[in-house]
Amino acid sequence: MRLYVDNAKCSGCNACRVACSLNLFGENNPKKAALVIEPQFPAPGVYNVKVCTQCGDCAAVCPTEAIKQDEQGAYYVNFDECNLCEACVPECKEEVMFVRSELANTAWKCNLCGDCVAVCGTGALWIAETEAVAA
Amino acid sequence: MPAKLRFGASLRILLGGKDELTVEPGRSVRATLASLDIKPELVAMVSVNGEMQTKDYVIQEGDTVRLMAVVGGG
Amino acid sequence: MNGYGGKILRVNLTDGTVTKEPTPPDVARDFIGGRGFGIYFLLKEVPRGADPLGPENKLIISSGPISGMLIPGGGKCDWTTKAPLTGGYASASMGGHFTAEMRYAGLDSIILEGLSPKPVYLFIDNDKVELRDASDLWGKNTFAVEKQFKERLGEEFQVAVIGPGGENLVPYACINHDYGRQAGRGGVGAVMGSKKVKAIVVHGTKSIPVADKDSYRKAGMAIYKACKDAEGLKDWTRYGTTIVVSWCDEVGALPTRNFSAGSFEDGKNLYGPVMREKIVITDKACFGCPCPCGKYSRNKKYNNYVEGPEYETIGLMGSNLGIDDIEAVAQANLLCDDLGVDTISTGNAIGWAMECYEKGIFTKKDTDGLDLKFGNVEATFAVIEKIARREGLGALLAEGVKHASQKIGKGSEKFAIHVKGMEQSAYATHNATAMLLAYMTCDVGAHHNRSWAITYDLQVGRDKVVPEKVARVIWLQNFRPMFDVLGGCRLQWVELGIDRDLYVPALEAITGIHRSWEDLDKVGERIWNMTRLFWARENEGFGRAWDMPSPRFYEEAPKSGATKGQITKLEDVNKLLDMYYEQRGWTLDGLPTPETIESLGLKAVVA
Ligand code: SF4
Ligand code: SF4
Ligand code: SF4
Repeated sequence: MRLYVDNAKCSGCNACRVACSLNLFGENNPKKAALVIEPQFPAPGVYNVKVCTQCGDCAAVCPTEAIKQDEQGAYYVNFDECNLCEACVPECKEEVMFVRSELANTAWKCNLCGDCVAVCGTGALWIAETEAVAA
Repeated sequence: MPAKLRFGASLRILLGGKDELTVEPGRSVRATLASLDIKPELVAMVSVNGEMQTKDYVIQEGDTVRLMAVVGGG
Repeated sequence: MNGYGGKILRVNLTDGTVTKEPTPPDVARDFIGGRGFGIYFLLKEVPRGADPLGPENKLIISSGPISGMLIPGGGKCDWTTKAPLTGGYASASMGGHFTAEMRYAGLDSIILEGLSPKPVYLFIDNDKVELRDASDLWGKNTFAVEKQFKERLGEEFQVAVIGPGGENLVPYACINHDYGRQAGRGGVGAVMGSKKVKAIVVHGTKSIPVADKDSYRKAGMAIYKACKDAEGLKDWTRYGTTIVVSWCDEVGALPTRNFSAGSFEDGKNLYGPVMREKIVITDKACFGCPCPCGKYSRNKKYNNYVEGPEYETIGLMGSNLGIDDIEAVAQANLLCDDLGVDTISTGNAIGWAMECYEKGIFTKKDTDGLDLKFGNVEATFAVIEKIARREGLGALLAEGVKHASQKIGKGSEKFAIHVKGMEQSAYATHNATAMLLAYMTCDVGAHHNRSWAITYDLQVGRDKVVPEKVARVIWLQNFRPMFDVLGGCRLQWVELGIDRDLYVPALEAITGIHRSWEDLDKVGERIWNMTRLFWARENEGFGRAWDMPSPRFYEEAPKSGATKGQITKLEDVNKLLDMYYEQRGWTLDGLPTPETIESLGLKAVVA
């Protein structure tokens, strides 16, 4: 299971990122979300969405093994075990592994909670085994 | 197979709560509305299977016709 | 303070100082935010008789408690000032992502005061606030400036910027943001230009505190769910506001050739599906919106990208100018945005000039040699540019249709379509009495966003003049602007028809204060009366005469279209006002009575 995105449908509203920060940190702060919306305006006029593929590369390099896998296969950060070493960040090809110590005392990433999907009004996001299951 | 008329939230208020009606195909949206005692001009938008159409569109078998009004305004 | 950034940023441009003060809790309690903060500070801080473009006027930029939150449409920013266009109250609502970012920087309002001696921009990055030199940006168009900031500072910064229109103090200059969202009406861009503030850039990484996290999340999610389940979501998202073009054409509400009719014989070429098919490439949303109305388009004919055109612009730059080419309308839209002038007022000004030309009031000598007939696309583009730069004919049109027509005379005042000096937005009102009343009494001039009642007119009977219609207009005027107070968008309620009661628990969970819609409507009523008192304070002799619509709607019936031969009688116009004033608790001259002022707790405001 992982999160999929159809860039063409994204309207750049950022609701997903607010929902994400609420889930991860209980805070209303899209800067602390685990997905990224990159507006590309005025041309070509689309939003580029970066999401976690749950590839596990970040977990593989984490020296404290703070990044764990849950039953549905999602990798999540155990905040207490993260020592902010940033080893995971460059490993992430999707650029969605975050350490910003000025914002949080831990690394963070997508834990596949699904709240972003719940608020996305355009159907740009979905969670599935394979991309083909797309809505 | 008959066709379905579905009403958006704002029209539902105008129509006393109904949100779906089954209608016979073969007539225009305008004529169908008139036969239901709905002033056609109250309907701001007709969408048939997801595409916007005019009220002269002749309803086909199996169509889902969604009707919207703008009550609260622009 | 729960639900608030907590700070008001005060920027004194005369001496270049910036200060922060805590957001007063009692003001937050009584006026909530957005437009409420705007009128509160305007009445309190701008002295009577202030020159809209002088040092005493202020530009008050406010978010509201649902801005930047997990609430659909929490992306609206209010810009309040004394309007250069009308000399009265202006409050323009701007969508996009600016208001959310302000809140993440901890700010509820930004107040610009004084006049800067040289071009500057306001830089805000969390607690770092600076006025920086903008000499190199002065004179540039809005898109180029926004792009430059985004490249230099990153996509997380949000940018609000004026174009040449604002710099040249065109009284209907707008403020641009997010490549296509505007604070459009009343001349807020000119006020920013008078202060020599080219742009405001803001970035914040703070969290907004809420009173009850779990209830907030639940209530917010419930509104998202209601939007996503709404019957109309897909169609609305597909067409946005252009969903109503065909209907307005059908019922005679589509302004055509300077509002001389309400249906356009070539209107079909401007309908939503045509536009969707021809030019739209991306649905573009304001912050947090699940039902994006923004239709971002690629305009092949003119090789441009633009957000829109949306309904108002299609009406005023399309049918109102006799133009039936959606790509030309998109290009006109782009020019207005890029140069920083409001498409609604600009479309009216050009429509008025075209009518002057066709009637022989203007000759080519007056139009800088342009063949300014209805339908002339190239001339339209040229005039937009002239207006923003105040060149030739543009210098006259940049005064707005009220002043321009007073200057020209020859009967042209009769077809200057405005109320209180603000040009009418894109609904023709020859035979729609509730909508006509909505325009007449709107608190900024002839604008539709406070109250909109055409469907109600059709339901009750278009030419009926009955108390229910008046009551409907008043209810909408009190209630709809509350979305601008909360810092959110009304279209989820308007277009998707979601239950407004869903906002009640959300607002309570955010602010910790329970307010029913009855309470909120009351706040709306107070604000409405405050804006009226502001008009009266600033304009000697203010009263009934100011509420009169353009004679076009009671003297000249359209010669074609759905409203052919239909007109509102002058006596009905007056009857509407009589009923309106009575229901509002105002005198027959349209001023709040002492009892009304007392009962709304506004005595201190008048003193
Ligand atoms: S955060 Fe990056 S590296 Fe880690 S699982 Fe997700 S995509 Fe892979
Ligand atoms: S919620 Fe959906 S539409 Fe909005 S930014 Fe996220 S992916 Fe894009
Ligand atoms: S409906 Fe339109 S104006 Fe309202 S929040 Fe959504 S995108 Fe913005």
